[in-house]
Amino acid sequence: MSFDLVVQQALNGISFGALLFILAAGLSLIFGMMDVVNLAHGAFYMLGAYVALQLVQLTGQFWVAALVAPLVLAALGLVIEPLLLRRLRGRHLDQVLLTIGVSLVIVDLIGLVWGREVRTLPYPPGFDGSIAIGGSAYPVYRLFVIGFAILLAAVLYYVHRRTAIGAVIRAGVDDAPMLSALGVDTDRLFAITFAVGAGLAGLAGVMAAPAFGLQPGMDVDALIYSLIVIVVGGLGTLNGAGAGALLVGPADTFGKVLFPEFALALIFAIMALVLLGRPSGLFGRIRIGR
Amino acid sequence: MDTDEITTPERDAKGARLTRRQVLIAGSAAALAACAPGGGGGTASPTAAATGAATAAATAAATPAPALKIGMLLPFTKVYAELGASQKRAADLYVKQQGGKLANRTVQFVYEDEANDPQVGLQKTQKFIEQDQVDLMMGIIATPIAYAIRNTVDQAKMIYIGTNAGGNAMTRETTDCKPTCKSKYVFRTSFSAWQVSYPLGEWLSRKPETKEFFLCFSNYGFGTESAAAFIEGLAKNGGKETGRVAPPLGNADFVPFVTQIKAQATKNVYSFFSGTDAIGYIRAWNQLGMPAAGYKMYGAGFLTEQDVLKEVKEQANGAITSLFWSVDLDNAENKAFREVYQKEYSLLPDVFAVQMWDGMKALDEALKKTSGNTKDKDALIAALEGVSFKSPRGDFSFDKSTHNVIHDIYIREVKTTGGQTVNTVLDKFGKVTDPGK
Repeated sequence: MSFDLVVQQALNGISFGALLFILAAGLSLIFGMMDVVNLAHGAFYMLGAYVALQLVQLTGQFWVAALVAPLVLAALGLVIEPLLLRRLRGRHLDQVLLTIGVSLVIVDLIGLVWGREVRTLPYPPGFDGSIAIGGSAYPVYRLFVIGFAILLAAVLYYVHRRTAIGAVIRAGVDDAPMLSALGVDTDRLFAITFAVGAGLAGLAGVMAAPAFGLQPGMDVDALIYSLIVIVVGGLGTLNGAGAGALLVGPADTFGKVLFPEFALALIFAIMALVLLGRPSGLFGRIRIGR
Repeated sequence: MDTDEITTPERDAKGARLTRRQVLIAGSAAALAACAPGGGGGTASPTAAATGAATAAATAAATPAPALKIGMLLPFTKVYAELGASQKRAADLYVKQQGGKLANRTVQFVYEDEANDPQVGLQKTQKFIEQDQVDLMMGIIATPIAYAIRNTVDQAKMIYIGTNAGGNAMTRETTDCKPTCKSKYVFRTSFSAWQVSYPLGEWLSRKPETKEFFLCFSNYGFGTESAAAFIEGLAKNGGKETGRVAPPLGNADFVPFVTQIKAQATKNVYSFFSGTDAIGYIRAWNQLGMPAAGYKMYGAGFLTEQDVLKEVKEQANGAITSLFWSVDLDNAENKAFREVYQKEYSLLPDVFAVQMWDGMKALDEALKKTSGNTKDKDALIAALEGVSFKSPRGDFSFDKSTHNVIHDIYIREVKTTGGQTVNTVLDKFGKVTDPGK
């Protein structure tokens, strides 16, 4: 591999990691706050992509879709949490089964509404070409995804660390019953958290759609990758989602190109190594009493 | 637990991946929740079978002949659902066109969902044989399922007409019948991997500028067989492979692989992909500016079939591919077929519809010869072996020794004219027969 090729593939890996970060951030937030493993996260991602497709067909505007589709998903999250998930608070196995059920329903409805054929979302205008980096052309959209993920990370970090709602979220992650005892309406907080998580999944779906297309099965791929990212990075922390994505994205890209037979095994080898050294992930904290 | 994963409406799939992914999901989830969940949020509904009688009920004329029961094993859920739907449309339409009857017998289809799973396919095959007692079986999209049921239909003396699965071994003599081998009860109206890719290799290697190829193909059974057949064809006129890269089936991100292609010097690239993978590959190809850099794409026809062209349009222009059919093929049968199909369903037929249509036609012709008799298996097999007719793809017949279809292979180039992106026929290989004995 020449140096130029290594740089190109590194960019490919980082841009894939950037998408994984957007995807995993929502899953991580929901887990950290609510202690729920949301296995419908992949279905939310898929639905985000299809809603965006519909919006692009209606309005012809990618940016409208990128704004509205996550809001649609957030609204869905706002319905699902109080209606279904709230009844099962603290019952982990039941929550897992429920979210699997929700994902099956969503995915089948997508099949009914949009069909089971492969679809694509066009690149937004001006982002369909390449620019020269080190003598080779590199796709602009992928650079945009990297930039967007960094911006999103900065915003999330700021909200998390520097705002009142961030303080409440951090308190909720540490000890939700105590937070409730202090007079915070945790029902409302959980509903909002779930909505934001679902919205982030939808956002990831929109961002990924032009690069990866829309098809049955994309939900499961997304779910697997996001689970790996947050397990590697550390459960329920934003730093963890970022670190996990930055590790898994490039590892996946280089693995597939260099050792196609062992690409998936490589990812899991990394996961195993990380968990051996740090059982709660790179940035995870071991929790007691749950 | 019903989990789906392969992200491409591909022609064949590696069934084993299902289980692996299922385990992964269950494992990861277990690591997260302190409790152990049962695994997998999948895409597919756990739907059982769609059982349906043929449309167009037979009219009052009460014939003594019992209904002709055909067991149709097709995917109606998961990643190949659209392919199953296409073949069901073609089968229903064919029978409707014949007034609900083949020879003198009213057709009764028993549809079952193979769910892209060899185990499920085998169970449904046993159900056809023991419970439904069908007269014969048709269908199957993915090669692993066809391989899984071969011994069962062979032992039960159940005639099976394959309408898609293209693994070479299904109609070949193989050492110890591994991974499978031909059977006197098995016919195939679709194609073998060899039949599609070998002619392209031979055709290209005739010209000095297309003797050397870099290979990029989906890393699974059918992709590997196709690449091997292509190299065999190249070698015919002294052509050769210069290198290869093989993305996994159902890969999401193709930019890294096209980056690899661009980093090497051979400009001609044999590319085996279909469905989602083909779309992802062609878009990545254009995004990295491959055409401007002088690279050219070649491949088996699935790379540029309608499902793909509809999404990538002129981005596929210049790609040269080989297949036994094209929606624009200029012959009377194809025109008539396209017309009735479009009238019935308001959409264009695809290659999968043609494969099933020809399967029904072959059966129809054979039954006419046996006067509708399906009890005498040897007579029906002999009748099928002798079938020969004009199909939408051109001349159709079976190889008597392997029961694989013999058909013409067209070399086509993707061109956009008047806003329509289509495969234009450049050349034709007449009566291509799989080399199986």
